[in-house]
Amino acid sequence: MVSGKATEKSIGGNSDESGGKKFDFGKKRRSRLIDPDFVPRLVLTALALSAVLIIFFIIIYIVGESLPAFKEIGLWNFLTGDIWYFNPNYPADDPDPGRFGAKPLILGTILVTAGSVLIAVPAGVGAAIYISEIATEKARNILKPVIEIFAGIPSVVYGFFGMAVLGPMFVRLLPGLFQYPSSWFLGSVILGIMALPTVISVTEDALRAVPRSYRHASLAMGATDWETIRKVVLPAASSGIITASILGIGRAMGETMAVVMVTGSSPIIPEPLYNIFSNITTLTAAIVNHMPEVARDGIQYSSLFALALILLVSVLIVNLTANAVGKRTKRKMGIGKKSKRFPNLSEKIEVFSDNRLFNAIKMQRSRMFSLFWIILIFTFVTLMSTLMVSDLFSIVIGLSATSVYIAATVFVNSLNSTDRQVLAYGGLKLVIVLILVVLGVIIGDIVVKGLPAISFEFIFDSPSDSGVSGGIWPAIVGTVQLVGLSSLIAFPVGMGAGIYLALYAREGRFTNIVRQAVDALNGTPSIVFGLFGMSVFVLAFGWGPSLIAGSFTLALMVLPVIIKTTEEAISSVPVNLMQASMAMGSSKWQAIYKVVLPAAAGGVITGLILSLGRTAGETAPIMFTATVAFSSAASMSLFEPVMSLSYHLYNLAMEVPQAMENTYGTALVLLVMVLSMFLLASLVRNHYSKHNRW
Amino acid sequence: MKKIDLAISVRNLNLWYGEKQALFDINMPIVRNKITALIGPSGCGKSTLLKTLNRMNDLVDGTRVEGFVEFDGKNIYAPDADVLEIRSRIGMIFQSPNPFPMTIRDNITYGPKIHGVKNKSDLDYIVEDSLRKAALWDDVKDRLDTYAMAMSGGQQQRLCIARALSINPDVLLMDEPTSALDPIATKKIEELAVELAEHYTVAMVTHNMQQAMRVADYTGFMYLGKLEEFGETAQIFNDPHNKLTREYITGSFS
Repeated sequence: MVSGKATEKSIGGNSDESGGKKFDFGKKRRSRLIDPDFVPRLVLTALALSAVLIIFFIIIYIVGESLPAFKEIGLWNFLTGDIWYFNPNYPADDPDPGRFGAKPLILGTILVTAGSVLIAVPAGVGAAIYISEIATEKARNILKPVIEIFAGIPSVVYGFFGMAVLGPMFVRLLPGLFQYPSSWFLGSVILGIMALPTVISVTEDALRAVPRSYRHASLAMGATDWETIRKVVLPAASSGIITASILGIGRAMGETMAVVMVTGSSPIIPEPLYNIFSNITTLTAAIVNHMPEVARDGIQYSSLFALALILLVSVLIVNLTANAVGKRTKRKMGIGKKSKRFPNLSEKIEVFSDNRLFNAIKMQRSRMFSLFWIILIFTFVTLMSTLMVSDLFSIVIGLSATSVYIAATVFVNSLNSTDRQVLAYGGLKLVIVLILVVLGVIIGDIVVKGLPAISFEFIFDSPSDSGVSGGIWPAIVGTVQLVGLSSLIAFPVGMGAGIYLALYAREGRFTNIVRQAVDALNGTPSIVFGLFGMSVFVLAFGWGPSLIAGSFTLALMVLPVIIKTTEEAISSVPVNLMQASMAMGSSKWQAIYKVVLPAAAGGVITGLILSLGRTAGETAPIMFTATVAFSSAASMSLFEPVMSLSYHLYNLAMEVPQAMENTYGTALVLLVMVLSMFLLASLVRNHYSKHNRW
Repeated sequence: MKKIDLAISVRNLNLWYGEKQALFDINMPIVRNKITALIGPSGCGKSTLLKTLNRMNDLVDGTRVEGFVEFDGKNIYAPDADVLEIRSRIGMIFQSPNPFPMTIRDNITYGPKIHGVKNKSDLDYIVEDSLRKAALWDDVKDRLDTYAMAMSGGQQQRLCIARALSINPDVLLMDEPTSALDPIATKKIEELAVELAEHYTVAMVTHNMQQAMRVADYTGFMYLGKLEEFGETAQIFNDPHNKLTREYITGSFS
C-alpha cells in the first residue's frame, strides 16, 4: 500500500510528478493479432445455431411423421371422426389398424381443460388479489414460496394423489354417481390444482404492474381499499388476468401423467356431453396409452404424431394468444421495456380515461350482466342436477340456487362500502385458506403415509416382488443419472444460445422466428418430446430404451427453458453496465464474462436449478425412452435402460396396487428430491437479489 | 491565432443510423486539459457526437461513420485502429450512474484487471488514487468491500468517475453526468470536473446551459445533427454569432 499522503495533495496523478506509479494501460494491446471477441463469438454462434437447428428439426420431424396419417385418413376425418381405436393385433395378426377419429380426444382435452379452468381461474385470481393487495408484507413473503411448492410437485405425484385419495373419496361420498374412481371431474380437479400456480403468479405480476398512483388517486377520492381494487386495479390489470387464465389453459392442456392416472383413459364422448362423472381421455393421455403398442412406421405410429401435432399447434395458439394479450397490457400501462424508468405520462392518462369509459359502459350493462349470471347459474345448476336426480327436481334445485344468488346480490348491495370490504376480504381469505388446506392435505398425505416406508433398506435396496418389497435404490440412481446427463447436454447449448440471443443476435425477422420457435417448444407438452425421443433416439438411432436416449429426450425438453431463462436473466441486466465496461476498453466478451454474467448469475442459476427439479419429476418423456419397470441393480451403462423414481411411482400406482406403502414411500422420496431443488433455487435467488439492485 | 494543443480533432464527420443521417459534417477541436461542453435541444445529436469520440457508437447496429476523429495523431476510424485501446485511453461517464453490481473495490479494479494489472499492491494503490481523484476516498475508505449499489446517486456517479480514472485515460467523456442527480450532488460533480481538467481533457454533453457556463472553457451548440457554433464559452453565451445559438441560449427557441 502506498502511503495516502503522497497522493492526497494532488488530484489527478497521470503525470509522474505526483509521485505515484504510472501504468501504461492499453499499450500492450497493440501486439494483439486477432480480435479477442472472435473465439467467444464463434463458439456462442455455433451453440445458438445448433439449438436453433434442433428446435426446427423437432418441429419439422413431427409435422413430417404426422403427414401419412392425415393423408390416409384425411385431415377432416381425423379431426372429426367419432371413434378412436387401435387394433392391438395390428399388423401381426390383423391387417386392420383400427379407427382414427380424434374427436373424442380433442373434445376430452377441451372438456377436462374447461373444467380445470373453472376451478383454477377464480381460485387463482382470488388468491393473487389476496397476496398482492391485501396480505401484509410478512404474509406475502410466506405465501409466495408456499404457492411455488404447488408448481414443484411432479405430475405423477398429483396423479397418484388423485387416484389414491381423491377418487376413492368421491366414490365414497357420491356412490351412485361415480362408478369409477377415475372421471372427467377428478381430472379437472387435479388439473385445476396444477394450473393454480401459473394463474396465481401471472395474475400477481399483472396486479403488481398497476402503478401505485392509480391506487392513490382512487383512495384520495374516498374509495375503500376494496372499491379501489375492484374498480381501478382489476380493470387496469384485466388483460394481464386474461393472460394468466390463458396460460393456465395451456398448462392444463399439456398435462399428461396426471390425466392418464385419473381420467380413466377412455376415448369416449361423455353422454350427455356435460356428464362430468364420465370417464374420458385427452390427446396427451392417448399418446401415452398407445406408445408402447405401436411399431415404427405405419398408420398407428403416424397417427400418434398427428395427435402430437394437434397438441403442439393448440398449445402454440394458446401461448401466442397469451403473449399477444400480455404485450397489449404492457403497452397500455406504459410498462414496456423502454418506458420502465420514465413511464410515459400521456399514456397513463389515456389508460385512465379509457378505464372510466370502460366503467361507464359496464355500469349501463350491469343489469344485463346480472341477468346473464342468473341464466348461467340456473342452466349450470339444473344441468348438473339432472345427472343426479329427476329432471323436475333438477329445475327446482336450479331455481333455488338462482334465488340464493339473487338474494345474496341484494344483500351485498344493501351493505355499506366498509361492510362490503369486510365481506370481500373474508371471501378472499377463505380462498387462500382453502388453497393452503389442499396443499397441506396433498403433502401431508404423502408424508404421513410415505414415512413408514422409509428405511435404510428402502433407500439402498433394489426392488423385489414387483416392488411390493425391497427398495428404490436403482430408481434413485437412475433419476440422478438422467438429470445429470441431460443437464450436461442441455446446459452448455442452452446457455450459449441464451447468451447469443440476448447479446449477439441482431434484432430482426430471423431472431424473432428463433424466439418464437423457442417459445413454441417451451410450451410444448412433455409427452411430445417423449414421442419424438422414442422415434428418433430409441428407434431410428437404434439406441433402444436407454440412459442416453432418455437423457437426450430430457435435454431437448429443458433446452428451451434454459435458453429462455438465460436470455431473460441477461436481458434484465441494464445495458449501461456493459457499456461502462466497454467504454474502458474491455472486449465485448470480457464485458459479458466479467460484468454481465456475474450480474445475471442469480437468475441463470435459479433457472438451471429449477430445470433440474423439473427434469427429476418428469415421467412422460422418459417412460418409453429410458426407463425399465424393475432392475435389480443400478446400471452404469449409457446404453442400458434405467429405473427412475417418477416412472417407478407411476408403475407401482397403476400396476401394483398391493404395494401401496412402497408407492407412498417412492412418492415421498421423489417429492423431497424435487422440492429440495426448488428450495435451493429460492435460496440462490434470495442470496443474489440482496446485491443486485438497479 | 495562438497555437492550441488539441487532444482530439474531429474533421468532416458524418454519421448514419441505418438510412438516417444523424451527424452532418462536424468539425470540432477538443482542447487538451480544458473542458468542452456540447449543448443543444434533445435529439440534436450531441450525445451521438460524444459517443463517436471513443467509438461507443459501434455498439449500435447499423451505424456508419465517415470522416476523421484524430486522437494521438491517428484517425480512430482508420481500419487498423484498435478500438479497445482507444476506449481505454478515452474514458466515459454515463447519464445515470451505472456502477457494476460488485463491491466498491471491485468496481475500481475492474478496468486495471482487464488491462493486465494483477499485483495486489498495485491494485490497492490504484483504488486509493482513483477514489481520491474522484473526491470519494474519505467517504468510502472504510467500506471498500461493501456493495456499490448501497451508495447515494451522487456517490455512485463519483464512483463511476473513479472507475473511469482507474485506467488513467487521457480524455474523459461525460454524457449528461448530472442529469440523474440532485443539485448538491451536481455541484460536487461540477467542481470535480473542473479539478480533473487540470490533468485530463474533459468533453461533456449537458442539457443545462448554466452548467456549461459554469464549468466549460469551450462550448459547442448543436442543432439537428449540425454543429452550428463552436467557441470559447464566454463568447458563445455573451456574443453568439449564430442566430440559432442566440435563440437557444436566450430561451426563445421555437
